[in-house]
This record gives sequence, structure tokens and C-alpha cells, in this order.
Amino acid sequence: MSSTAVREAAVQLVKTLQKFPQERIKHLVSFRDSQLERFKPIAGLETTGTDSTKKPTLSDIKDIINRTSGPLGLQKDLLKKVQEALPQEQFTAQTIEEQNKSLNNIMSNKYKTYYDVGNKLYEPQGNPLYYKRLLDEIEGKTKETFFTALRTVVFGK
Amino acid sequence: MLRSFTHSHASLLNSTLSFSRRTIIFRAGYTTGINKDNVKNELESPEELARKSQLTSQPIDYSNNAPVNPKKKRPLLSDSKYESQAYQLPKWKEALGEMVIRIFNLDMDKVRAGPIAGSYYYALCKEQGLQFENEPLSETAKFFYEDLKLPRTFSQWFQITVLHEWILFVRMRAMPFKYGKNYQQKLVDRTFSDIELRLFEEMNVNSGRIADQYLKDFNSQLRGAVFAYDEGFYTDDATLAGAIWRNLFGGRKNIDVVHLEAMVRYVRSQLYVLSKLSDREFALGKFKFVPPDEVVYKLSPSQEAVMKKAVIEKYEAMDRNPDILPSEKSKLSYKN
Repeated sequence: MSSTAVREAAVQLVKTLQKFPQERIKHLVSFRDSQLERFKPIAGLETTGTDSTKKPTLSDIKDIINRTSGPLGLQKDLLKKVQEALPQEQFTAQTIEEQNKSLNNIMSNKYKTYYDVGNKLYEPQGNPLYYKRLLDEIEGKTKETFFTALRTVVFGK
Repeated sequence: MLRSFTHSHASLLNSTLSFSRRTIIFRAGYTTGINKDNVKNELESPEELARKSQLTSQPIDYSNNAPVNPKKKRPLLSDSKYESQAYQLPKWKEALGEMVIRIFNLDMDKVRAGPIAGSYYYALCKEQGLQFENEPLSETAKFFYEDLKLPRTFSQWFQITVLHEWILFVRMRAMPFKYGKNYQQKLVDRTFSDIELRLFEEMNVNSGRIADQYLKDFNSQLRGAVFAYDEGFYTDDATLAGAIWRNLFGGRKNIDVVHLEAMVRYVRSQLYVLSKLSDREFALGKFKFVPPDEVVYKLSPSQEAVMKKAVIEKYEAMDRNPDILPSEKSKLSYKN
């Protein structure tokens, strides 16, 4: 395998990754950013100066900690360790193309379309607005008020 | 192991939906050939898909790797004789039970949440990723630990279990609210009481305080995972893949995207099977996860109609039967 073939495949993969949708809310780690960080050096692109290496702001960190009530220490350490340990990986053009193909399958919504579950599960009989409310809250379309929250606690939905 | 739970009917649905290349199911009257025509794109099970990948990267070695190596293993469900396979309830106890149900007019759909969701469905979820060090893996566990290269730890087992429980939660939400909520509650209760026992007896945790800390941690992991999977389920495959990557794969950097795709396929296909089950069948525990080495083909409208008709006939006959035992009664719909 020539190294140019590997690099070109990686460039394609990076292009696909850049189209990968951003997460709606911030998590400790981001799939898109971590993979960009992983494949950009192979594609011969520089990683510095991009948003992927930007440090989280204080408010980001506070936000994440506030959302998680469990003993976070251990898991956070572990995640950091996982992120920092840069594995020595041997790529061939073929393996990178495979990655790209799978990523494209995921991004084209192949399985959601093929295994369509219909409104039976998307608007479940027991709680038809469940997913809509969840998504509206994530996207900030509607805010849960004190009374809607109380209703959920008392009636369960 | 659990075969005796699933009735001989063995979920007509499951058998018609999941055709494997190893076992062609003739019982349902279909052959794989018919189904293969429905599908133009490649036909591969999640396992085949995952195995196809040429990427050789090994996952990072976790330094706090704690293998599951108990001195004495716990039974799959509990020490109670009522949950053991061999136990037969004496006839007089059975008759007494039926009488109590009839006299107090107990709502069996509510009562059934314990034995079905708390016992049968929990055992299903638990088995999927169950592994012990120095012991051969089960077929499904091989998919998770060998093909997907997940670490063989207790917390990884928990993540696999949570994923399967969430798949069931999605279906439980589509039941009438009162019953669905109860099923969910029983499943979660059982999960944590079992984990607590496993921590003490199999992971050799001696301190109650430390066990509590683990349980709290598992609880927040459960809530986070259910939330993330819900978001992914409702929005798109990319979000679902992100959620699976963060939870099941522990957010590791050298992920094999082919493996991630295999998991998205696995999850969506299980949900598809569940979407075709009626409330009644699901509530009676007629569901089994499709093993990762089997392919779920979509049903054609005519196949679906045949299947629905068979289900409706079966349960109509059951409801009409005057000799039906009080404990077998159910008001849940078998038509949806």
C-alpha cells in the first residue's frame, strides 16, 4: 500500500467526518471531534487551530458537572485516559475506505429508514408526546416549566 | 437455558421475522428465498458485518481492568426456588392462587409485570453480555467481546445489559401507560437488586458504602444512556451511533466505525421486531432478542397480514375459551 493511497482515503474520511452532525448538547467527549483528531494527521491535515482542540470553557464544564449527579471522578479520569492514550495504528487504504463506507451508511440514515418502526413506537400509545417533549427540550424549542415538571412527577407523563 | 419460559408457540413473530442462514424456519411457512428478494442491499447480520472489518486496532488496555472471576457464581435469577427451572408448583398451591385471583378479581396484566419484566426479560438482558473470566463465552457474548473487542469487565456487562433494557423500554412505552410503566419499573428494580448481589458475591466488594457508590454510579449511567439512546432513536442513525459510541464503547478513540455500524444495525433490527409484536404477546413474554448472527429481513405487507391474522386467531380463541384460567386472562390488545 502506498502512503499516498492511505492519505487520500483519509482525506475522504475526514471530509465525511466533517459532515457528521454536531451533538445537540455537549458531552464529555464528542465522536466527531475525537475521530477528526484521529484521522487528520493521517490525512496530512493539521489539527491545531480547529475547534476540535479548543478547551472547554468554565461554563461548559459546570454545565456537564451539573447534569451528572453520580460520582463522576472515576469515569472522567478513565475517559481522559482513553482519550489521551494515542494508539499506534496501522492503516491501509482499504481499512480507511471501510471506515468511510460505514460512516456514510450511518449518516445516510440507512437503518432508520430500512427498519422503520412507524408511529407505533415513535408516538407510543402510553405516552405519545414522550419523544417530542424530549427533543423540544434538547433543542430549546419549549422549556419545561415548573408545572409541566410537577405533572410529570405526579402523573408520570 | 431459558427455553422453558418461552412457550412452545415460541413467538410466531420472532420466527417469521428473523431468518438466519443457519436455521431456515419452515414452521412459519416462509423460506429465506422469498425474503431475500425483498432486499436489494447487502444481507449481512451484525456479526458478519463486524467481522468483515480489516482494522486490527486493539482497544486500549484499561489499567483498572477488573475481571469477573467469582469464587462462587450466582444463579441467573435468584436463590428462590420459585425461580428455578426445575421447580414445579404443587397443584394445591396453583389452585389456591387461581382462586385468590378470581375472588379478588386481580388485574393479571399488572401482576404479570413481576414474573415477565422483572424475571424473564431481565434474564434475557442479563444473559446477552454475561461473561466470567476463564470461561468460554456464549454465542452472543462472543459478538460483544470478541467481534466488537469490548473489554471483559463488569461495567461493560452493565452497559450491554442497559442497552438491551432500553430496547425493551421503547416497546414498553407503547403499552397502555399504567402497564408499561409498571413493566419498566419492575425491570429496573430487578436490575439494581441483582447488581447489588453480584457486587457483593461475585465482585467481592465488602463494604456497603462502596457498593452504594457503585450503584449510584450505575444509576446515573442508566439514566444517561436511556436519555441518549432515546434521542438517537427518535432523531437519526448518526445520533444513535454517537450514543452507542459514548456508552457501549466507552467513548474510545480508536473505535472501528464498522463495528459501530453493526451495532446501529443490531439495535434498529431489534426495535423493528418489537414494533411488529402486539401488546399482548410482548406482555406475555413472547419476545427474544434476535441473535447477532442472524439477519432480520423486513416483512412484506402480505406476510405481515398473515402473521397478524394468526396472532388474532390465537388470542381470540384463547379469550373465548370458557375454561381459561384466571391467571391467563389479559385485557391487553393483540391487534396492534
